[in-house]
Amino acid sequence: MNQMNALSRFRSSWSHFSDGVRDRWAAAPGWQRWAVYILLIIGALLLPSESLAPIMSPYSDWASVLFFPIGTFVVLAIGLNVVVGQAGLLDLGFVAFYAVGGYAMGLLGTRLGWNFWEILVVGILICALSGVVLGAPTLRLRGDYLAIVTLGFGEIIRITARNTDEIGGPNGIRGIPHPPSIEGFELFGIQVFKYGVLDPRPYYYMLVALAVIVIILVKRWEKSRVGRAWAAIREDEDAAEVMGVPTFRFKMLAFAIGASIGGAMGVVWAAKVISINPNDFLFLLSATILAAVVMGGAGNLPGVMLGAFIVAWLPERFRGLQEYRMLIFGAVLVALMIFKPEGLLPSRQRKAELKGGTGGMGSLGADVPGPETKADVIEGADK
Amino acid sequence: MLLEVKDIHVHYGKIEAIKGISVEVNEGEIVTLIGANGAGKTTTLKTISGLRPLTSGSVIFDGQDISKMPGHKRVEAGLGQAPEGRGIFPGMTVHDNLLMGAYARSGDVSAELTQAYELFPRLAERRTQFAGTMSGGEQQMLAIGRALMAKPKVLLLDEPSMGLAPLLVKQIFEIIEEINRRGTTVLLVEQNAQQALQLAHRAYVLETGSIVKSADASALLDDPAVRAAYLGGDLGEPSPNGQH
Repeated sequence: MNQMNALSRFRSSWSHFSDGVRDRWAAAPGWQRWAVYILLIIGALLLPSESLAPIMSPYSDWASVLFFPIGTFVVLAIGLNVVVGQAGLLDLGFVAFYAVGGYAMGLLGTRLGWNFWEILVVGILICALSGVVLGAPTLRLRGDYLAIVTLGFGEIIRITARNTDEIGGPNGIRGIPHPPSIEGFELFGIQVFKYGVLDPRPYYYMLVALAVIVIILVKRWEKSRVGRAWAAIREDEDAAEVMGVPTFRFKMLAFAIGASIGGAMGVVWAAKVISINPNDFLFLLSATILAAVVMGGAGNLPGVMLGAFIVAWLPERFRGLQEYRMLIFGAVLVALMIFKPEGLLPSRQRKAELKGGTGGMGSLGADVPGPETKADVIEGADK
Repeated sequence: MLLEVKDIHVHYGKIEAIKGISVEVNEGEIVTLIGANGAGKTTTLKTISGLRPLTSGSVIFDGQDISKMPGHKRVEAGLGQAPEGRGIFPGMTVHDNLLMGAYARSGDVSAELTQAYELFPRLAERRTQFAGTMSGGEQQMLAIGRALMAKPKVLLLDEPSMGLAPLLVKQIFEIIEEINRRGTTVLLVEQNAQQALQLAHRAYVLETGSIVKSADASALLDDPAVRAAYLGGDLGEPSPNGQH
C-alpha cells in the first residue's frame, strides 16, 4: 500500500509540475515562444557534436545514429501521430507509406534518373495518393478491425515488393542517387550541403529541416477546423457525424497527411542509404513507431517526439549489452506503462479523455477505463 | 409533415432489426417511440440521423428524400441529435463541446450559446470543465444543449433519462418541453414510458422491430396493454438498462 502511495504521490507531483509548465507556456508572449523554438532548432543542429558522442552513443557513430534511427523515428512518429494521436485511427501498417516513399526514390532515381528534389515532391504526392487508396476501403472499419486491416496492408506492400522482380524482388534497389550536392559551402568545417557517403551530418541537417516544416504544418492543422474535426472523431465518431463533421473525408485526410509525412521520410532515407530492400520495412518498424507515439503521449507533439527519441536511442545507447539490450528496452517500456500509462507528455485533452473512459485512443479504446477512471463513469460508458 | 419514415427495414448483417417501421412527425410536435430493450428504438433513430444505412424504405424530411444523404449533411438540413449514451466529447471543455455542435454552421453562434447556457445554467457554471469529468445528468444536458447549437428543425433525443435520478429526469423533461415550446419539433426515444407519454403529444410502441401501436400519448397512458407491458401494471418496472 505504501508503495502505491508513493507512486500516486509521484504522479500527482509530476502532473502539478507539468501543468505549471504548460500554463506558463500558454501564457508566454509570442517572442518568448519563438526564442524557445529557435533555441530548440539550434540545439537540434548542434546535436551531432563530437563532444556528445561518447555519452550518447559510445558504440556507434553518433551522427549516423542521429539520422537513423533517431531522426527518422521522430519524423515517422510525427506522421503516425496525425493518424493515431489526432484522428484516433489505429494504424498498424504505417511502414507501408515509408516503403512507398523509399521505393519511389529508388525507382524514379535509378530508372528515370530524376533528381532528389523532384522525387521528394512526386514521392509525397504518390504517398498521399496511396494513403487515399488504402484508406478508401479500410476506413469504413473501426477500432481493432481497422488495426488488423492496416496491418495486412502493410504486409501486402512489403510482400508485393519482395515478389515483384521488376522492382528488385528480395534484393531491392541499389545505386540510388544521393541528393545533388552544393560543393564548397562550409560552416564550422562541415560541408553542410555535400551529400556523399562519408559524412552523415548533411543528411541530418536536411532531416531537421524536414522535421521543422512538418511540425509547423501539423501544428497549423491541429489548431484549425480540421484539427477540431479530428479530435471529435477520435473522441466519438458517431457524435462527430451527427454534429455535421464529414467523418469519412476527414479520416481520409488524416491518412493522406500521415502517409505523406511517412513517404517524405522514406524518400530522404532512401537517398542517404543508397540501397533498400523489402526487409527494411518490417512490421516491427510500424509497431516500434506506434510504441513511440503511445509512450510519448499520443496527440501531443513534444511528447511524441520525445517518445520516438527514447525508443530509437535506448537500444543504440545500450548496444554494448548485446542481447540484453532488448530486455532492458522492454523493461523500460513496461515501467513507463506502469508509471505513466497516458504517456510521458500527454496532452491535457488526452488525459481528460482517459478519465472520461474512452481509453484515450478513440474508438479503439472506447469503453476501456483509464487508470483513474471513476467507477460511475465506467458504468455510464459500459452500455 | 416535417419528418416521415416510410416502411424502413434495417439489417445488422443478416439479422433484420427493423421490420418495416413507419413514423410521422408533424411540425411542432413531441413524438415518442417507446419500447423495451432491443425493440429497435435506437436503430430507428440512428437510421433517421444517418448513422445506419437502411435496406429499404425511405426517410423524408421537409419534403426531401434523405434516405441516401450522409449523416453530416442531414445536420445541415435541420436534423439535430443527442446520441445514445450521451456521446459528448470527453476531452473537450463544455464550451468546446457546444461549439462543436455548431460545426456545420457558419456565422455567428452567440445567440445559440446564450440560449444553451440559459436553458442549462449548470453548463454555464462548468463552462471550462472537461466534459468527461461531469456527472451523467450534466453530460445529458450538454448533449441536448450541443444538439441545439445547430438550430435543428427536429431534435432527435435518444433515451435522455438513461441512468439518471428521477429528480434529474423530471428536470430534463421539463427542459425538453421548453425547447418544444420555443418551436423545435422533438422525436424522443424512451424506455421510461411513463415520463415520455406524459410529455409527448403522440407515441409509437415498438416491439422487436415493428410498431405494434400508435396513438395519442394520453390514450396510450390509459391503454391496459401498454400499462401492463411498459408502465409497470402487473409486471413491474422495465429494467433501467439500455438496449443491446
